[in-house]
Amino acid sequence: MEKNVPKKKKFSTKFLYSQKIAPYVFISPFVITFVIFFAYSIVNMVIMSFQNVAGAKSTFIGFENYAKILPNAVFRKALRNSIFYTIVSCALMIPIPLVMAAMLNSRHMRAKSFFRSITFIPALTSVVVAGVIFRLMFGELEGSFMNQVIGIFGKEPIVWLRTPLTVWIILFFLCLWRWTGVNMMYYLSGLQQIDSSLYESAAIDGAGTLQTFRYITIPLLKPTTIYVLTISIFGGMAMFSESYMIFNGNKSPNNVGTTLVGMLYRMGFEQGNMGIASAIGVIFLLIVLVVNVIQLFINGTFGRKEK
Amino acid sequence: MKKSIPKTVLLVIFFVGVAVITLLPLALLFVASLRPGQELMRNGLNFRIDWAHANLDEYRLLFSGNNAYVTWYLNSLKVTVLQVVLSLVLSSFVGYGFAMYEFKGKGFFFLLVLLVMMVPTEVIILPLYKLIIGMHLINTHTGIILPYIVIPMLIFFFRQYLSGIPKDFLDAGRVDGCSEYGIYTRIMLPLMKPAFASMGIYEGMSSWNNFFWPMIVINQNNKITLPVGLQSLLSPYGNNYDILIAGSVFAILPILLLFALFQQYFIEGMTAGGVKG
Amino acid sequence: MKKRLMTTVLAAALVGSAMFGAMPAAASDDGSTQGTNTFVDGGTEMSFWTFQELHVAFWTSMADVWNEQNPDRPINLTVTNGESHSLHTKLLTACEAGEGTPDIADIEIGYYGSFVNKDYLIPINDAVEPYKDDVVMSRVTMYGDRDGNYYGVDFHLGATVAYYNMDIMNEAGIDPADIVTWDDYIEAGKTVLEKTGKPMTAVETNDLFLPQLMMLELGAQYVDEEGNPNLVTDEHIQVIDKIREMIDLGIVIVAPGGGFHTEEWYGFLDQGGVASVLMPLWYMGRFTDYMPDLDQKMGIYQIPVWNEGDVREVLQGGTGTSVIKGTANEQLAKDFLAFAKLSKEGCTYEWNNLGFDPIRTELWDDPEITENPDNKFLKYFLTNPFDILKANGTDLTAPDISGLYSTTYATLVSTTYANAFEISLDTPAADLLQEEQDSIIF
Repeated sequence: MEKNVPKKKKFSTKFLYSQKIAPYVFISPFVITFVIFFAYSIVNMVIMSFQNVAGAKSTFIGFENYAKILPNAVFRKALRNSIFYTIVSCALMIPIPLVMAAMLNSRHMRAKSFFRSITFIPALTSVVVAGVIFRLMFGELEGSFMNQVIGIFGKEPIVWLRTPLTVWIILFFLCLWRWTGVNMMYYLSGLQQIDSSLYESAAIDGAGTLQTFRYITIPLLKPTTIYVLTISIFGGMAMFSESYMIFNGNKSPNNVGTTLVGMLYRMGFEQGNMGIASAIGVIFLLIVLVVNVIQLFINGTFGRKEK
Repeated sequence: MKKSIPKTVLLVIFFVGVAVITLLPLALLFVASLRPGQELMRNGLNFRIDWAHANLDEYRLLFSGNNAYVTWYLNSLKVTVLQVVLSLVLSSFVGYGFAMYEFKGKGFFFLLVLLVMMVPTEVIILPLYKLIIGMHLINTHTGIILPYIVIPMLIFFFRQYLSGIPKDFLDAGRVDGCSEYGIYTRIMLPLMKPAFASMGIYEGMSSWNNFFWPMIVINQNNKITLPVGLQSLLSPYGNNYDILIAGSVFAILPILLLFALFQQYFIEGMTAGGVKG
Repeated sequence: MKKRLMTTVLAAALVGSAMFGAMPAAASDDGSTQGTNTFVDGGTEMSFWTFQELHVAFWTSMADVWNEQNPDRPINLTVTNGESHSLHTKLLTACEAGEGTPDIADIEIGYYGSFVNKDYLIPINDAVEPYKDDVVMSRVTMYGDRDGNYYGVDFHLGATVAYYNMDIMNEAGIDPADIVTWDDYIEAGKTVLEKTGKPMTAVETNDLFLPQLMMLELGAQYVDEEGNPNLVTDEHIQVIDKIREMIDLGIVIVAPGGGFHTEEWYGFLDQGGVASVLMPLWYMGRFTDYMPDLDQKMGIYQIPVWNEGDVREVLQGGTGTSVIKGTANEQLAKDFLAFAKLSKEGCTYEWNNLGFDPIRTELWDDPEITENPDNKFLKYFLTNPFDILKANGTDLTAPDISGLYSTTYATLVSTTYANAFEISLDTPAADLLQEEQDSIIF
């Protein structure tokens, strides 16, 4: 393999033509940024979580930060909020796009690509613009759009943003609005990879639409579902900006919309308590890792079953 | 065939409904941009509009020089372009390394890529912020861009994309006397154009719309990016709704335009990794 | 090729922007996010942050006046304006980073404690010294620490008054001048509700003006001697029970929008939604700006007190403008700051343009100020606010914002009052406050 390279080569030439060195050079941008920004940050965060952080005068205080944060009512509420948001958003963001994709993919459907594009448009908006619109749409004024809508049905105006139930409705609606199109797209590309002969033979066997959907479409879309589930979990646990925009700041009434990241932001950036904020970060990291392990485990067992 | 007509009708009606709900918030925003912000404040966001008095004053205000909107817009453009170019070049470089070579520790390094992919950036936002302070990059556009110049998601995508390209190309290049890096720049880069297009759009979108990290890194009003600037207008002190609403419309418009032109790249870009993952 | 196309589109967007830019500016100049004074050659460049659009013009005008009077030390001032919450967070993180901080900044009272606590501000005692005898010093020293240093000066005295909607009060047949105690206020409120169907006033869930006012009248604070959060006090319980009593009677409602600085509330108040609102005098500007329909309808009176004979005035709200550590022009910044806020010129501007009750006492007796027929605030309201200032003198209770006040404040305005007045109305005040106290991390 080395025969094309002149025997007497300078160091630089050797470097340029070496197939041993090349891959390491190629992946070096990743390794460098990984070490500087990721690994270093995580180590630093773990250290800070055991400290009373005050610049050069930082002192180690053992588990005190954790002891303060773990029993704290607001922190627990934020954690509950994040988990609740994640679970419900997964419950919404998988079946709805899946069914819609199947409907759109139906041979009876017309103007497929037009509708596909339309549903995709909200994903193009930033969370800021989307948040501004939703905040105003769900204003508590009588003339705010959603109050006008419920007014048609004879309902009194609602104080949308200060009632826990309606706050959740807004957050989930916002999530559905922005991401249904994208998730639907995942499922559409999944559907296109399903061998159409499977459907044909099912039709010959006399299977109905629902049966085909249940016994062919859903199982064959499992890889897509697992992927969508993964991104939904991480999107859900990391939710912050949506709440920040809806409430115009990290300050929802009675913390109805405060999330894990919101709590981290509050302690670290708004109150400048780096030790506590780092402890929250470490707890967050542990949750993410646990979810990953569970995910891998379930994936693994499913994978074996299919074989 | 008789049976399928009502089915078609039902499906189309359903999706027309979906389309209406999807477009409605944007339509509300657009209608609001044609009337004074004061009215919005007093009556709420709705479709009630006196068309005789509808005007483009809010848009004129945006570019009147009385505010920093244009500065924010240009900041966002600058950050987006730099971020897209850097992340595409570097990530494709890394992805190429993973796709084309066998080397010691490959599995380990790729595991690291997956690890970074699996941890939401919000987890390390605090130490990252301290690090950027330490590097004296706080309050700079470099500070926004630098931590995100190598994107695991892009590495993953490029590796996937390149694994479909026969390795014969490499050997042909070597026979022609190309260096290992010459093969990448002369032979592989042209082959990756479609991948660059879809990933460029994906990365451009996320950079253009990014809010949390730029909000943390930049302190000064004249350096902030568009989403952060728009958020700063949502203030109870002083009436900035004119700029907020028109500015929001104008923030989406270029993306809508690009979407209309390069739809397939958008969809490919934003759903990359889906089935392949 | 695609790349070229994309570049073309981006370029087109830019050209579009430029074309819009060439259009004549709209008549309205709302939404200015940045302002400068008239720059002079050799002026020292200084940056300034504020969260209130109206302050931009004040600071740039004062810089011009300063340059006239101090031609040897001119200033070229650039003022930027941003959303309050994110601006304060940015300022705090910039101070933490020690980079990107402005020379001077407006810091809202609720956030002030953090900056003092973390030692991010420069003491201004020496710069204030020349003005000491002419101003209400309790308003200056409140922006200080326990060592006698003070760091900020407010725009105004911040005296709290009662704004009554006289249409409603007349309809109910009540003269606000007769309302002295909270019990009087409640009785009047019942009559108003009965005769007009309107609530007497509103309470905020995202801010603390009403409960804090009642606390200060009792001489109680939210932080203890050491500056630690101290929510569970007899006075606090008494205040919450009193407000809840009024909520039960239907004479107090939760403010639409949750606070007195929301769009929803402005609209509600303007349409005559409540009979009165208890806020500091600086709130006059909100009336003139957002409540056009209440012109010539509002009367300003003294606040109710717990016992007859109590001083009927407290200091609330405000903004401590401060010099930030790291500035290259410490002395100039301090001198300019003291001049702008404490000089006769500055206080006169603040009163005339912003409706801020002057911190400088000589202005209270100056007929050119107090009887100025062209003043938009005097014209708007039916009674003269200076009567209240003169009646109550200068020995006023100010909130203690030292120590961990900012952290405490963040809890009060996010959960405590939302729970106390809207969500958990049935939880006894003592239990509720204990829970809130326990939730504060410090």
